[in-house]
Parts: sequence; C-alpha cells; structure tokens
Amino acid sequence: MIELKNIVKTYKRGAEIVYALKDINLKIEKGDFIAITGPSGSGKTTLLYIIGCLDKPSSGVMKFNDKDIGKMSEADLVKIRREKIGFIFQHFYLLPGLNVLENITLPLIFGRKTRSKEEIISLIESVGLKDRIYHRINQLSGGEMQRVAIARAIVSNPEILLADEPTGNLDTENSEKIFELLRLLNKKGLSVVMVTHNTELAKRTNKVITLRDGKIFY
Amino acid sequence: MIFLKLAFKNLLRHKIRSFLTVLGISASISVLFSIISFNKGFESSLQKELYRTGIHFMIVPSGCPHEVASLVLHGAVTPNFLNIEVFQKIKEFDEIEFIAPILITQIPNIEKEKIDLVYGIEMSNIKQIKPQWKIDGTIPFSDDSILLGYDVAEHYSIKKGDILTYENKRFTVSGIVQKTSSQDDAFVYMPLKALQDIIKKPNGATAIGVKVKDVDKLNTVIEEISLKIPGIQIVTMSQVVNSLANLAGSAKILSLSIALVAILISAIGVMNSILMAIFERTEEIGLMRAIGASKFDIFRIIIKETVLLTLTGGLIGLIMSLVGANIIEGFVRNFMPYIPSGKMIQFDPFLALICLFFSIFLGIFAGIFPAWRATKINPIKAIRG
Ligand SMILES: Nc1ncnc2c1ncn2[C@@H]1O[C@H](COP(=O)(O)OP(=O)(O)OP(=O)(O)O)[C@@H](O)[C@H]1O
Ligand SMILES: [Mg+2]
Repeated sequence: MIELKNIVKTYKRGAEIVYALKDINLKIEKGDFIAITGPSGSGKTTLLYIIGCLDKPSSGVMKFNDKDIGKMSEADLVKIRREKIGFIFQHFYLLPGLNVLENITLPLIFGRKTRSKEEIISLIESVGLKDRIYHRINQLSGGEMQRVAIARAIVSNPEILLADEPTGNLDTENSEKIFELLRLLNKKGLSVVMVTHNTELAKRTNKVITLRDGKIFY
Repeated sequence: MIFLKLAFKNLLRHKIRSFLTVLGISASISVLFSIISFNKGFESSLQKELYRTGIHFMIVPSGCPHEVASLVLHGAVTPNFLNIEVFQKIKEFDEIEFIAPILITQIPNIEKEKIDLVYGIEMSNIKQIKPQWKIDGTIPFSDDSILLGYDVAEHYSIKKGDILTYENKRFTVSGIVQKTSSQDDAFVYMPLKALQDIIKKPNGATAIGVKVKDVDKLNTVIEEISLKIPGIQIVTMSQVVNSLANLAGSAKILSLSIALVAILISAIGVMNSILMAIFERTEEIGLMRAIGASKFDIFRIIIKETVLLTLTGGLIGLIMSLVGANIIEGFVRNFMPYIPSGKMIQFDPFLALICLFFSIFLGIFAGIFPAWRATKINPIKAIRG
C-alpha cells in the first residue's frame, strides 16, 4: 500500500546540508507490523513523517495506494492524513486543555466524521481507559497518555498506524502493555509501523528495518 | 463546542492579558454605545423641550444665527439690546398672542465677590417659557424677590427666604428651581423691571419670545414683522433646533471619531494578544494540523477565539454603559453645546444588538491577520520544536 523509491531527505542547518535520509527504498503491505530501529539521529522520525505524508521528500517517489504523493495538492494530503493515517508522536502531544474523550474525538471533528458515542466508548475501553473518559490529561500517567494517543490515532479507522517510539517514555510493564495493544490492532487488520529503540520488542514484529546514517542497514 | 472550550481555556491561561484585552474592547464599545444612544436621546428630548416652551420664535438684535441660538438657550450675554420701540411695535400686531421680553446680563455680586448671570423676565411668563421647571418655593410675585437656579443656590449655599444684594438692592429668594441639568441651573431669575432698573435700561431686552395665535400663519407673521421693524432678527424654534442639532452633530462626529480610534486601538490590542497566544501555541497548532486539521480549520479556530474575546468585551461594554449610564452621561455632556434636562441615555435593544454584531465583526477583523499567520505554521517544525 505504501511504496518508497530512492527517497532522499535533506535539511539545511545554516550553510551546511544535512542528509537525514539517503536513498531509501521500502514497501509496506497491508497488514504489516514493522519496527524501525537505529541509533539516535539515524533518520527514523524523518522517515516516519514522510510515510505519514506529514513531510515531503527532497527527492524520490513515494506512493500511497499507487498514487504519487508528490503530485498531490495540499488538500488531498490533508484528506489522506485524516482518513488513512493514524499518528502517534514521540512525545504524546495531547491537548492539556481538553479531557480524554475530547482529545480522542478531535480527529473526527477535523475529518467532519461522526461515530456513535457507543463506538467511541468501546474504543476507549479497548485501549484500557474505561475509567478515565472525562479525566483531564494532566491527571493521567505516562502509560495512560500513550493509550489516549493510540485511541486518538485510530479513532478515524485509518489503514495504517505510525508510532514514533510509543514505549519510549514508559517502564517495562507499561511498554509491554502498549506493545500488546499495538499487536492486537495489527491482528485486527491495521498496518502498524513503529519506531523503537527496544530491540526485544522489535524482534516480535514481522519485519525490522534498521537505519544507520539515513540508510537502511541489512 | 470543543474549540470554544479550547479557546476559553487558552484565554484563561493568560488571565491578566485576556482581561486587559477584553477591558479595552468593552471600554470602547461602551463609549460607542453610549454616544449613539445619547445622540438619539439628545435630539428627541431637545425637540420636545423646545417645542414645549410655547414660544414660536425669538426676536433678537441683528447678529449671527449661531450666536442667537446660543443666546436663546445658553442665555449668553450679548452687548446689543433691542430698541424700546421694537417692543411697542410688536405689541401692535394682531396675530400675536403673547410676548415675553427677556433680558440676560451679568451683574457683580459684591457680597460673594462673584459676577452672576442674571436672567430678567416677567415672572408671569415663567410658566410659559419654562413649563418643565419644578420649583421649591414660589415664583416671585413682587419686584424684590428672585428665583435661583439650582447650581447658583448650591454654590452660594442659599436657601429659600435668604437675601441677595445687587447694586444695593435687596432681593428675597422666593424659590429655587430644582436641578434641570441644563444651563438653566446657572442663572439668577429676576423680575424684568428690577433688572432693567439695576442696569439702567428701562424697557431694555436682549430677546423677545413670541407666541402667535395661529401657527399656520407663523411665516406670514414673521415676514410682516421683519418688513416693518428694522435692526432685528427673527429666529424660529425650528431653526434653533436645527442649529443645535448641527452643533450636536459635529460633537457627535468628534466623539464618534474618538470612539472609533479607541475601538481601533483595542482591536490592535486583540490582534496583538492573539498573535502572542499563537506564538506560544505553535506546537498545539502544529499538532492539530498533523492529526487532520486543514489550514482553514486552524483559521476558523483562531477567528473563534478572537470573536470570543471581542464578544465578551462587547457584552461587558454594554453592561458597563447601562450600569454607568449616569457617569458616561456626565462625561458626554461636556461635549454637547446644549443639554436638555432629563435622562439622555435610553436603552435601545436594537442598538445593543447592533453593538454586539459590531463586536463580532471586530473580532473577525482583528483575527484575520493572526489567523492567517497561524495557518502558516508548519506542523513538523512545530512538533519537532
Ligand atoms: N528540521 C531539521 N533541521 C535540520 N536538521 C534536522 C531537522 N530535523 C531533523 N534533522 C536532522 O536529521 C537527522 C535525522 O533526524 P531524526 O529526528 O529523523 O532522527 P531519529 O532517528 O528520529 O532520532 P531519535 O532517535 O533521537 O529520535 C538528525 O541528524 C537531525 O539532527
Ligand atoms: Mg525520532
């Protein structure tokens, strides 16, 4: 469903040009559960943002469901982000002014979609936040915040879930629970790509991609 | 609803900044609302009050109409006096029902070391010319009694029955006119004869108020009088109303421009505080973009916030002008050339509604630039910091 061909991403840092990604070739199929690992600064987040249509490559071609992302308008990209992609960011990025339920339903509002209250409640239950529905974000633990972020990422029924170090800020026990949650979602048909430093968890996915200096390392 | 809640939360995050911004808006909306209400009230009460006097026109010595208008109402002191013959001649016209000579001048009050504004009139005419007055005491019925305007009595701490001396003549205060909040409060009202004696101008008058028997013939009477009596000028009440309305009109334009400048400044305040808020919330806005918000969504959210701010300001402003109507009235009175008695600010729900719509418009106007800036936020840069 997603295909990357000769993807290069450069950043300007003053006069210097930084190569965050160098010639990445990658295919993601429906139902995949992929782990991206690699040392800090190797380009994992950059790659995830490009897969998630949040960022555009400097060169190369990226196709989403056989359509060339580079040739899409801003409005089309917004539509893809809304409907096809769920994103979990490196630091939860929840809105502290809203409660759990409101944070989770935010993408529906932007997507002009509705889901019944029961559906949303059962979604919240499925990520284990049954008793936290009306809690404020700053009353939650790190693990709970990550669950909110997951629920928010999947509330629009995306085709693929992209998670940037979803267990990075959690202890072993909570990491395990979150990972199990992702695996469960994957079993139900959702494609999952997760960036992780945790090699133990990475081994338990279907496919591991290791990045080093912006290149895939086999 | 969520965005309203979010907007509200964001405004509460900086309570003082939001409060000051709202305060600026409410103050300027309040001034605007008061000025407009005031003007509406002003024109209608002015008309009512002037027509109630039962005088159709005033005869005055030749001079510019502006001066005349103020003479009639302010009671300005003019150096010119009407000729004695004028008085006699006017009496001869059949069509005239009633004439009231008026003599306005200044006389020193040696006791109090002040110069008083004295309004000479035949006391029997008071009821005709000032029908709206309420008097504590009685209208003088002898030439050695006087009536005092409220402010004069207040200023000198004079009560009914006290004595005032002008040019060695003693006058008993027979009554005090209750506060009219107009220029009437500033005069000493003296029987015409007595005043003429004091200034040694028997039959002298600065103006003559005239009432005709038949209003339909008003114009012919005026024409006839101006033909037969030279050196005079006739000012009808409608001319006075017009010229005052014009004066009030320029005062209105002046005060409206001040209000508009105030509104502009408060709108810039709103713009500034929203811009700062956007700057602080770059990450949040970037995140919303990343989870599916379009640029237009962001634009709308920011506009909602500014409108929330200005609408709150507008509402508070309206409440402020209702509660503080009297204070504002006193303030606005200083700008007006002539103020009829009675309350000027009347609450007009339609006008209030317009002011609220105006605050909404103001919010949209002030929000456009910050909202446009917010749409330029790059989600990735915002999230990566
Ligand atoms: N906006 C930017 N401007 C300049 N350089 C950038 C920018 N974003 C990322 N980089 C650089 O690109 C490289 C890849 O960054 P990226 O965030 O993708 O790494 P990462 O593998 O996710 O690291 P981490 O494990 O620490 O999250 C790094 O060298 C980083 O400094
Ligand atoms: Mg990263």
